[in-house]
Amino acid sequence: MHSDVTQFDLAAPPSLQAVLKQLAAEPGKHAPIAGGTEMMVALGAGRLQQRSLLSIQHLRELRFIRVEDRLLHIGSGTTFTDIRRSAEIAKHLPLLVQSASWTGSVANQNRGTIGGNICNASPAADTPPALLAYGATVTLVSASGERTMRYVDFHLGYKKTALRPDELLHSIHVPLVFGDHRQYIRKVGTRNAQAISKIALAAVAKVEEQRLADVRLGAASLTDRPVRCSATEAVLSGASLASDALEETIRLARAALAGETHAIDDIRSTARYRGAVAGNLLEEFLRSLAG
Amino acid sequence: MMQAAEKAPKPVKQLDHRYEGISKVTGKIKYAGEFSEPFAKSDLLYAYLVQSTIPSGDIVSIDRAAADNSAGVVTILTPFNAPKLSQAPPQPPARRNLSLLQDTSVSYNGQPIAVVVARSLDEAKSAAALLKVKYAPKPAKIGLKNRLAEARWPKDPGKEPAGNHRGDAQAGFSKATVIIENTYITPIQHHNPMEPHGTIAWWDGPKLNVYDSTQYITGVRQSLAKTLNIPVDFVHVVDPVVGGGFGSKGSMWSHVPLCAMAARITGKPVKLILEREQMFGPVGGRPSTVNKIKLGASADGKLLAMQQDVVMNASVMEDFVEHAEGPTKNLYMSSANSVSAKIVEANLGVSTFMRAPGEAPGTAVLEIAMDELAEKLNMDPVQLRLVNYAETDPSHDRPWTSKNLKDCYQQAADRFGWSKRNATPRSMSDGNAWIGYGMATATYPANRSAAMAIVRLLPGGRMFVGSGTQDLGTGTYTIMAQQAAAGLGIDPTLVEVKLGDSTLPKAPVSGGSQSSASVLPAIQDATSQLKLKLADLAIADAASPLHGLKTLDIDAKDGKLFNRNNPTQSDTLTDLIARNGNKPVEATGSAEPAESKDAMSSQSWGAVFAEVAVDKDTHMVKVRRIVATYDIGTLLNQKTGHNQLMGGIVWGISFALHEEAHIDSVYGRVVNESLAEYHVPVNADIGTIDVSTLNIPDLKFNPIGSRGIGEIGITGTAAAVANAIYNATGKRIREYPITPDKIMLA
Repeated sequence: MHSDVTQFDLAAPPSLQAVLKQLAAEPGKHAPIAGGTEMMVALGAGRLQQRSLLSIQHLRELRFIRVEDRLLHIGSGTTFTDIRRSAEIAKHLPLLVQSASWTGSVANQNRGTIGGNICNASPAADTPPALLAYGATVTLVSASGERTMRYVDFHLGYKKTALRPDELLHSIHVPLVFGDHRQYIRKVGTRNAQAISKIALAAVAKVEEQRLADVRLGAASLTDRPVRCSATEAVLSGASLASDALEETIRLARAALAGETHAIDDIRSTARYRGAVAGNLLEEFLRSLAG
Repeated sequence: MMQAAEKAPKPVKQLDHRYEGISKVTGKIKYAGEFSEPFAKSDLLYAYLVQSTIPSGDIVSIDRAAADNSAGVVTILTPFNAPKLSQAPPQPPARRNLSLLQDTSVSYNGQPIAVVVARSLDEAKSAAALLKVKYAPKPAKIGLKNRLAEARWPKDPGKEPAGNHRGDAQAGFSKATVIIENTYITPIQHHNPMEPHGTIAWWDGPKLNVYDSTQYITGVRQSLAKTLNIPVDFVHVVDPVVGGGFGSKGSMWSHVPLCAMAARITGKPVKLILEREQMFGPVGGRPSTVNKIKLGASADGKLLAMQQDVVMNASVMEDFVEHAEGPTKNLYMSSANSVSAKIVEANLGVSTFMRAPGEAPGTAVLEIAMDELAEKLNMDPVQLRLVNYAETDPSHDRPWTSKNLKDCYQQAADRFGWSKRNATPRSMSDGNAWIGYGMATATYPANRSAAMAIVRLLPGGRMFVGSGTQDLGTGTYTIMAQQAAAGLGIDPTLVEVKLGDSTLPKAPVSGGSQSSASVLPAIQDATSQLKLKLADLAIADAASPLHGLKTLDIDAKDGKLFNRNNPTQSDTLTDLIARNGNKPVEATGSAEPAESKDAMSSQSWGAVFAEVAVDKDTHMVKVRRIVATYDIGTLLNQKTGHNQLMGGIVWGISFALHEEAHIDSVYGRVVNESLAEYHVPVNADIGTIDVSTLNIPDLKFNPIGSRGIGEIGITGTAAAVANAIYNATGKRIREYPITPDKIMLA
């Protein structure tokens, strides 16, 4: 059933501090809203619990991209369009640019933010696989202070995150250590654009004397949350890409990936397809490293 | 006498732009739901359709207390208080089995069960959410593939019989060297024009006025009169532009009379626009078809027998037959054919016509079977079709009015580069993708019905043309202007066109690709009558250079009447009408299919070639190219005509790869009732589309020589893509849509 928009309040506090104060005063009562590309759908469908929306879209404090201390910092209010246009991100984090480019439509990209993409916590979200592969950390802020955690620990389950009701995601940080890494990302949808992913895989790795090092894999739509495939990473760590060992490396990696992911059947795809194609994508990445 | 049916019509000057294009892109022209006059805008009330949430049962009660007290609510119509109507039986296409709150039964999930009317749309929606509906559920009939044993003959199959035999199919199969026998499935699809269904209704005393998004203003007018038991003359329907209909707007659905009922009860104008998710059920859809197809051929490829037995879902409310077996009866010359079409009842909304009803799924399945037969015969698929070319209509054993399909195969194959095809699957690749080529035949019947038109010569040599037809974005305005202008030999930019108003002379439903073929001959007749009147006016006018001539000697060209025997003797239309006190001169015309129409069959044709790339890792399909050539008679307008063919092709690609309504197996609701999950192609899914037409007039069909063009584009395309996917991958998918999952698991 539909929601009646007249039954909702929308406030736009003037500063981040004002937003945090309000969230702290009445935890759980207010829903922060940035681009609204998810929230308005939920509102329209009558799925939005909170009746009070706090706009954070206008907060300049949350919208930035900067390099500091060998880290790239991205404010949670940064839009997908901002990401696509950033020379810094294009230079250091091409997988993030790629994933931003296939998020929704141009209109979605103009409004939608990376913070919203993460906090909405869909297992099929577009930017998390890249951020997981890049080993991002996130900073959460509240009226009582801030905390920084590994992004991989942020997602706790299906649509569940570590974010407390009084907290906002402030920023995302990625170490700029990928100059020597090979990078890969691919999304499979039910059509060639504007589709929610059937599966997506982001991967970075170093190749040293035909051996893999520092392999990081992030995936979407393979479990109940965006996931870092650490068991597969462990199998691949130090694995050989030499021609006499490549097939065995691929076999072991595929088996490890199948073992640590639990794809589901839904109207967009089947578990079998997702599992098989995840393996295919991983294999494509590994062969590209060997080739 | 100047006769309408000239044997070889002069080429009509085409408009190089869409007549209403500028007014559309500048937002000046109004769609049905956008009007805010002649009533006071502040009077306008908003209605919201409340839908059932169970698939089968009865409504026990509706607790409306909270809704009644909700802000802005004016009235709520439910089965417990709605005015009683004398519900007439369905009469497709105009009128279907409707849900007008006349009883408490629920036949499908999503059925209209109440209407909330409020001062604003938000208030109406909000109050609707407060209604507490109590149901007594009954077991529901859901599913098709698992219920094929329940198939029965339809009560009323429509124009075509549900079962048909020609020759001895069993004897044919027993003689056949090669036999193909498989089951092919097409899914439920739902119409999703850009403009959803919508109505504004208001009463002027006993008279009802509606703006309604419809493909059939006359049908809505008659159906409203019948449903509300008022004289037809008391109903006025207006709809200047339609943002697509694709068949669902060919019929009047429940929301239209419900809107009129709400307007009568409140005494105010009421607007009722369907939301996108309400398009999935209450306004029709294409049924799913399960097709058992058997083809038998001799070693040289000659078809000895063709058999197709179709089972489809139909609503428990009304039988509707999707004649997917149609192409098996008339597309190829086979020694024998046997077809049947049966239905399985389901608790779903009523099915209805969707772009190329019958032929869209029919060609989608038969043309895969033909590809399989060609492969088994080790024969080129085009060659197989040429070997079985139907020079006459096998289904009626009579000649075609015109058929040049061989030229379509030849031209499209040449442009496509078909000779480069390697018939062995997985033999062509590009990078990480397999490349495949496929082809199929396109076909759709040519229809026309009786139509009328009115034309006027206006001061300054301008013209007016009107007909109670519709423009669904198809170009009706444009070709009406062209045809009227051609009648007097003036420039088409000097013509003012009016359509979409039920006070205009009657025209048929804009469905079955018949509007241009029906309305233009009526305009041609009207302009002939007008020319006669103008000639008589000039002859009688002592000041005219043509004074005293015979009517027969006068013709019109370049804005002038002239003496055929001495073309320099002429009178400009501007002068003539000025001397007439600038009083417009008016004539009406009509046209209908010739009495001899049953002696011949009229059909359009095409050849569609597709190139796909299938990713080896993901099995995602990219349709790189479609090349198609059509035989549709005279092409009336390059821009609007090609636009329709290309739009049809895009939908054919959608049919092949994307579209499918998923029905919840317990609740019977369409699960993906939004455009986010009910996928149609986006630009990234469509490669190049190269369309051409033969442009050979079919003058035995109508005096304009043109057959309709609105539906044929979707036919053949899906199978061409499916066959290309097989050529690329070696995987034969017989159930649409062909998703990456199905390719991988095949």
